[in-house]
Amino acid sequence: MTLRFERVSKSYGDVEALVDLELTVADGELLAVVGPSGCGKSTALRVLAGLETPSSGRVLIGDRDITGLPPHRRDVAMVFQDLALFPHLTARQNIAFGPRVRREASDEAVRRTAAVAERLGIDGLLDRYPDQLSGGQRQRVALARAMVRAPTAYLMDEPLSDLDAQLRATARTEIVELHRSIGAITVYVTHDQAEAMTMGDRIAVLAEGRLQQVGTPAQVYDEPANLFVAGFLGSPPMNLVPGGGVLGGEPGTVVGVRPEDLHLDPSSTGDVPAGRIEAEVGVVESLGSETVLLVRCRDATRLAVRTVPRSPYRPGDRVVLAVDESRRHVFHEAGDRSR
Amino acid sequence: MSDSVGVERARTPRSAPRSAWLFLLPYAVGTLLLVLLPAVLTLRYAFTDFTGLSGGRFTGLDNLRRLVDDPFFAASLRASAFHVAMAVPLRLVAAVGVALLLAAPRRGGRWYRVAAYLPTVVPDIALALLFLWVLNPVYGPLNQVLGAVGLPEPAWLSSPWGARVGVVMMLAFPIGEAFVVVLATRRAISPRLYEAAALEGIGPARQLRHITLPILAPVLVLLAVRDTVLMLQASFVPAYLLTDGGPARATLYLPVYIYDQAFEFLGFGYSAMVTLALIGFTLVLVAAQVLLVRRWRVLR
Amino acid sequence: MLRTVLRRHVPAVLVAAFFLLPLLVMVSGSLRPAGLAPPTGLDVVPSAPTLEAYRRLPELVPLGTWLLNSGIVVSLAVLVTVLVASWAAFGMRLLPKRPRRIAVLVTLGLLLVPVTAVWTTRFQVFDTVGLTDSLLALVAPALAATTPFYVLIYLWSFTGVPDTQLEAGRLEGASVWRLWRSVAMPQARLATLAVAVLAFSVYWSNFIDPLLYIDSPSRYTLPLGLRLLQLLNPTDFPLLMAGAVIATLPPVLVFLLAQRIFLDDPLRSLRQGRR
Repeated sequence: MTLRFERVSKSYGDVEALVDLELTVADGELLAVVGPSGCGKSTALRVLAGLETPSSGRVLIGDRDITGLPPHRRDVAMVFQDLALFPHLTARQNIAFGPRVRREASDEAVRRTAAVAERLGIDGLLDRYPDQLSGGQRQRVALARAMVRAPTAYLMDEPLSDLDAQLRATARTEIVELHRSIGAITVYVTHDQAEAMTMGDRIAVLAEGRLQQVGTPAQVYDEPANLFVAGFLGSPPMNLVPGGGVLGGEPGTVVGVRPEDLHLDPSSTGDVPAGRIEAEVGVVESLGSETVLLVRCRDATRLAVRTVPRSPYRPGDRVVLAVDESRRHVFHEAGDRSR
Repeated sequence: MSDSVGVERARTPRSAPRSAWLFLLPYAVGTLLLVLLPAVLTLRYAFTDFTGLSGGRFTGLDNLRRLVDDPFFAASLRASAFHVAMAVPLRLVAAVGVALLLAAPRRGGRWYRVAAYLPTVVPDIALALLFLWVLNPVYGPLNQVLGAVGLPEPAWLSSPWGARVGVVMMLAFPIGEAFVVVLATRRAISPRLYEAAALEGIGPARQLRHITLPILAPVLVLLAVRDTVLMLQASFVPAYLLTDGGPARATLYLPVYIYDQAFEFLGFGYSAMVTLALIGFTLVLVAAQVLLVRRWRVLR
Repeated sequence: MLRTVLRRHVPAVLVAAFFLLPLLVMVSGSLRPAGLAPPTGLDVVPSAPTLEAYRRLPELVPLGTWLLNSGIVVSLAVLVTVLVASWAAFGMRLLPKRPRRIAVLVTLGLLLVPVTAVWTTRFQVFDTVGLTDSLLALVAPALAATTPFYVLIYLWSFTGVPDTQLEAGRLEGASVWRLWRSVAMPQARLATLAVAVLAFSVYWSNFIDPLLYIDSPSRYTLPLGLRLLQLLNPTDFPLLMAGAVIATLPPVLVFLLAQRIFLDDPLRSLRQGRR
């Protein structure tokens, strides 16, 4: 079973939220949809869920056109950013809300609720109300409510955004593991590029309602299709120098190098060999497992350089940088990749 | 939540409006039949000689001319004006004072508030019967008390000003709605403001003057406007029950006159014209308040 | 220590006592024996309290009928008010932002329509549909939610329910009707209690509507009945006070049930979704 957007557009008055979205989610895939605020990623998800009707285009599950179907007949389950748990119902009643509304056989619903709860490790909490649960527990209840339906596709709209950093990391891996064992399509919307990179089988990058690139995390990271993708993924972001400058290049292009593809050359002390860049260390950001140097070149270009932990450099030191030529990205000024 | 352009509008589902209107339907029909249609009819009757049973001929401005020359209407307008001038400030000051006093947290504080609200749930008829007794010059306890402490014992309901004051006295008790509104507003003010003021050495009186009242100001204006509208209308029941418009038309408030014209003299047409006059009078008073407030810059 | 306690409580006690005074006087008046000569001195607390007035009252007037009529009107009207007001508010809640704002403005505008403006012409409407001199005429205002204010109370409560909850419900296949019943209303229980209590008080106390639209004494509600009592026995004050006490007791008790909502933090408590 695949899931497909066919030239889907959505506009509100003059505002275009989605423009000609063409995207296929493969069977069993976890697709991470990532982009800045207002890029249209949530709209895409809501169109998929049937909560929004596209202005044009079609949405398909397999070969079936579901564009006009009401949400509950699409066989998709959604986990919302605020989780949307019903505060007046216990965890158990929240999970069983769907089966109850759909008048499914109650013993079957009870059995499935219990099974899902056990799988998520919340079977001891089923009689609590949402405000008696911790953030992580609430998030599991929301997952359970989606899972009890055994849907064709899971739609997740930044479901981890209310968790603190540590919980978030564990929740990420849990969702990925659940996804692997269930094997259903999952579309995961996030604004956090690290989350997208770690979770997605593939990543779709959206900006201003348009799909910028879709591919595996490695593809998108190593061969960004345009300047936006290059600048959006990676932390610290790729060094982008209009006209190439110290990185070498022609006018009319923008040349980019990721911080980790700039190597410090401790051997060159005297004259700077050709193809090397001389710079002065401005700021040293020690992140524990790595160090990021923010350096200033002679032509005033600023670059970020990622290097080993416990780096000996101090602000004011002179460094010489070597560019990994195979990892040099060249873009047209208009944005697209040229090489 | 944070995402997608035009999120505000996007949030509510597409197919919702149709069912939304369905939910609104009973209310819309009820309002149309019981409020809007009667209001339009009133506007139409005002220019006819309809009696409720017969007539209904369009008579142009006849009713208006009659209104201008009607000494009863003039007396009625005056009575209503006096009533509003006495009742609204008294009720407002009482509601604000009591609310500010009882807003402070103290042990069992809510029960004091319950006491202050209770007269508001007493039915008008019960309150009126009570005041008929309390103000009775012969049997009533009020004059007993006044006599016991050596004060004059007025004739109350049988003298024009006594009657007017009596009605206002009765209406000074049910002030619970304004009380609750002020209470809620006052309790929503952050205690930090008062702590900061206290740190600056600003005492309670100036805190009231410079923090509480300015924050309450918009609410007070709203309450004043609302109470004006309310007092013009709610003067009916006490006047009807306590004084029957008398003595000497002193409490022939506009609603009483409207009632008399419509249901006692069967002048639906003319009573509709008096109703329009009441609405006009209400608008004038409300406009005056709003203008005054602008002048004083209570509201920006 | 004692002085701070006194300073904190004495003014509050005085204010509370002042507002309790009408009720106390009413009760003490009802406990007086009948037919006493006018008192000559101070005689506020009856020297020989008696329940005699309460015994005489049902003998003199059809108190049971009036109470029954009031009960019928109040229970129907409260039910219809709760339904109509919550439906209207839920409908507004479902509207997109701009139409919703217009609906709220119209509702606020309706608050300003003076009741006197519709006295006589409502009579005409009732006459046309044959509702004059019927208890249903007294229930009718419930069809318009009694007052637009109740719609606004519900709307305030419903806007505390996030869109995502409604959408989650829709995804599970809940109809809009089901969302009202299973998602919105359970989270608006305190709003329902507030509206029910306020509406109870309105219909129980309503004097003007029965005065205007009811003729037959057999259909009198308690307030109009008490007016008749007053006309029949203008100076039998113990009797009148007993009637007043009987009329006052139910709304006081009902209010005590719900006072917490109104007197603590109404805006917040109306949005407490939980349980």
